[in-house]
Amino acid sequence: MFDAKKFIRETIPKLQDEIKGKALVAFSGGVDSTVCAVLVNKAIGDRLVAVHVDTGYMRKNEPENVKKTMDELGLNYCFIDAKDEYYKALKGVEDPEKKRKIIGEKFIRIFEKVAEKENVEYLVQGTIAPDWIESGDTLRDTIKSHHNVGGLPSEMKLKLVEPLRDLYKDEVRKVARELGLKVSERQPFPGPGLAIRITGEATPERTEVVREACDIVEKEIENAVKKGLMERPWQYFAVLIPVKTVGVHGDKRAYGYTIAIRAVQSVDAMTCAYSDIPHKILDNISTRIANTLRDKVNRIVYDVTSKPPGTVEWE
Amino acid sequence: MVRIYVIDNGGQWTHREWRTLRDLDVDTKIVPNTASFEEIIKDNVDGLVLSGGAPRIGLDSNLGNCGEYLEKSVFPILGICAGHQFMARFFGGKVQPSKIPEFGKIELMLLTEDNVLFEGVPKKSIVWESHNDEVTVLPDSFERLGESENCKIQAMKHKKKPFYGLQFHPEVEHTEYGEQIFKNFVNICEKYLV
Repeated sequence: MFDAKKFIRETIPKLQDEIKGKALVAFSGGVDSTVCAVLVNKAIGDRLVAVHVDTGYMRKNEPENVKKTMDELGLNYCFIDAKDEYYKALKGVEDPEKKRKIIGEKFIRIFEKVAEKENVEYLVQGTIAPDWIESGDTLRDTIKSHHNVGGLPSEMKLKLVEPLRDLYKDEVRKVARELGLKVSERQPFPGPGLAIRITGEATPERTEVVREACDIVEKEIENAVKKGLMERPWQYFAVLIPVKTVGVHGDKRAYGYTIAIRAVQSVDAMTCAYSDIPHKILDNISTRIANTLRDKVNRIVYDVTSKPPGTVEWE
Repeated sequence: MVRIYVIDNGGQWTHREWRTLRDLDVDTKIVPNTASFEEIIKDNVDGLVLSGGAPRIGLDSNLGNCGEYLEKSVFPILGICAGHQFMARFFGGKVQPSKIPEFGKIELMLLTEDNVLFEGVPKKSIVWESHNDEVTVLPDSFERLGESENCKIQAMKHKKKPFYGLQFHPEVEHTEYGEQIFKNFVNICEKYLV
């Protein structure tokens, strides 16, 4: 069985051997990168700099939450607002693999800039098993290029350090609990963020819509879980489908986007069953989305696909 | 400690097979299917798992050196998905594109009650699938152990050798008795320890 204590005990000296100078850790604020940051911090202390990039495709209030987490953990950190840069780079890009690769490369170029300034040689990433499995290799088909593996540019100056490479999410959570981290139970959030929760072009306008819809799905489901009305899903969010349909709002014609509600049960993200959300909760989500995003969205659908054949995220 | 290696045919769940074995305290490692049989037996392995993978066995794709392992091995081998299909073809069976491919949840129905690989597994149970091809003609040297509504050869066993094939995926979390099936395979390998 996986032993989190043993893993921590063995990983810290390995990191001390591996990282000779300064390192930066790509810090998204999720479970994987937070566990990485804490382990490396224990290994090399303040030779570590945490870097958070606000891509513009983050969840509602996420940049503020991440700053708070970095403060609480006592990390050296640097916060980079790259919203406009990302929006510009993804303008007109519709292909999901192209989107992932552009985002992956941008992350690295930003990290390289920070590295040059701070004189850093190593890049620590919270890559876990499904990231490299799904990214494909000489034997394996590419299901999707995870930004931190298949999305990496072929030429990069930083040396990669990936202490969680062989772990799955449930094992990373065990390590997080062992380290006493508050983020241990957070739901996963993909590196490319909301950009892959919009099928097709991820424009700033659509991003604002899906950001709000994701927030509504999260809050309604968390509320229902708290009241004991449903089991907590592994992951739960909204997807914007840029297909417009006709509606009627106050006796007037409406014409807006479609939002899909997605929630799945899983342990390791390698297989997932769609979550059984009670109709009453679906109803609350639907009404709130339609009323909050009234001129943008007038149709809400519920995704009942498992993995396989689907994947958790739509792109 | 029993030593069972996972032969990587490029499956999405190869690493899950490794993890399941590791969680059962098996000495395990992932080995690419390009490794020769000699390289593998150098480590005194007690069994092999042939993983699934994207190659279309139903369209005549090959599977690295899996043929060599099946030809030379005397220890137990468990073929999963593409590994299972390749095993069937190697021993003279037929593999073709499925009329109805299966993805996700299906019901497995066991056909025999006393097979060691399925000890502790009820006659009907939920398993997860992900396949475009399937074994359509069983090799003469094999017997059928299980089926589903749309796929008649979900599980099979060689009549004389300790070779097993499964179309479904016992290594994924959502297969109800997956861990039990792995435990049984580990027991089978332990019995072969000399």
